[in-house]
Amino acid sequence: MTVADGCGAPEGGVKLEDTALGSQAVVAGTVRTPDGPAYPAYVRLLNDSGDFVAEVPTASDGGFRFYAAPGEWTVRVLAPGREAVQQTVSTDVGKVARVALQV
Amino acid sequence: MSRSDVLVDADWVAAHSGDPDVVLVEVDEDTTAYDKGHIAGAVKIDWKKDLQDPVRRDFIDKPSLEALLGGRGIGNDDTIVLYGGNNNWFAAYAYWFFKLYGHENLKLLDGGRKKWELESRELVTEVPQREAKTYTANEPDTAIRALRDEVLGAIGERNLVDVRSPDEYVGRLLAPAHLPQEQAQRAGHIPTARNIPWAKAANEDGTYKSDDELRELYAEAGLDEGRDTIAYCRIGERSAHTWFALHEILDRPNVKNYDGSWTEWGSLVGVPVATGDEA
Repeated sequence: MTVADGCGAPEGGVKLEDTALGSQAVVAGTVRTPDGPAYPAYVRLLNDSGDFVAEVPTASDGGFRFYAAPGEWTVRVLAPGREAVQQTVSTDVGKVARVALQV
Repeated sequence: MSRSDVLVDADWVAAHSGDPDVVLVEVDEDTTAYDKGHIAGAVKIDWKKDLQDPVRRDFIDKPSLEALLGGRGIGNDDTIVLYGGNNNWFAAYAYWFFKLYGHENLKLLDGGRKKWELESRELVTEVPQREAKTYTANEPDTAIRALRDEVLGAIGERNLVDVRSPDEYVGRLLAPAHLPQEQAQRAGHIPTARNIPWAKAANEDGTYKSDDELRELYAEAGLDEGRDTIAYCRIGERSAHTWFALHEILDRPNVKNYDGSWTEWGSLVGVPVATGDEA
């Protein structure tokens, strides 16, 4: 099993140890506001054509995670009273691509 | 049915907050969201534990449904207003499921939990106490449910609508990207099925698009209005969202949800599977 690069808890607090990452291509990260973790907030995953693929609510620490496929993705965040923000990211099999966003 | 009969907004919920005959029900696959906070007065239904048979792969039978709704204090004449996370996927499934068992007064809170949260509306942790009632369900209405053999016979004959993401349709992903990719034995789609992702029927805040936008969406995607339609996804919850758009909002007749969906089809022996962009 492959886990995220580095040691200790991932910044987002999202635990990947419970999943065999081998065949998975993960996009994970955190969303923050100037005041702390963005919660509640919704994170949308769009493919390289801009089509919606999936959406998750953030965890209480602002963390999120997607099981994607190798390639380019856009992560877009909706949060109460904030402008939506987005960022592109690429991932690959066996990799956790980390994204940190601020709304 | 039309939009105003089946969709309500936050103002409607507020106006009916003291009405004992109106029951708000939050339906989720992950019910920890309800436990952290829900709309005042809402009761909880766990899509998996409450609505799915614990042994066979099927939803619960009539006596179990009667016990569930009666036990939650819901009677046959009550108006059930459903909402939930995941853009109302599981709430739409519960709507379809309760309709299948004959409940008449059903509504969906447009935008579900997401719109409510994005508008910073109040959520409470207090769990309402409703006195148990006697609930009597009908036999399941198969006019809105498709099983696998009917789907096999529908290839090339009826509209098949695959409402999963384009990546799942072409076979690049096996499940929505927030779930581990480990579901069906094979990836792809049912031959002749058109890919009209459920998300195209929804705005970013989780509400359904307008009637005109929905009509345009399905017309542009090549849905033949003269043919019956079967919608499917992975486990039947996203296709319930599209079934709701077609059958309840646009009032199209003969629309079925294939709740076995890809986790069944993609594991069946001997059925055809298509991959790539071609229907």
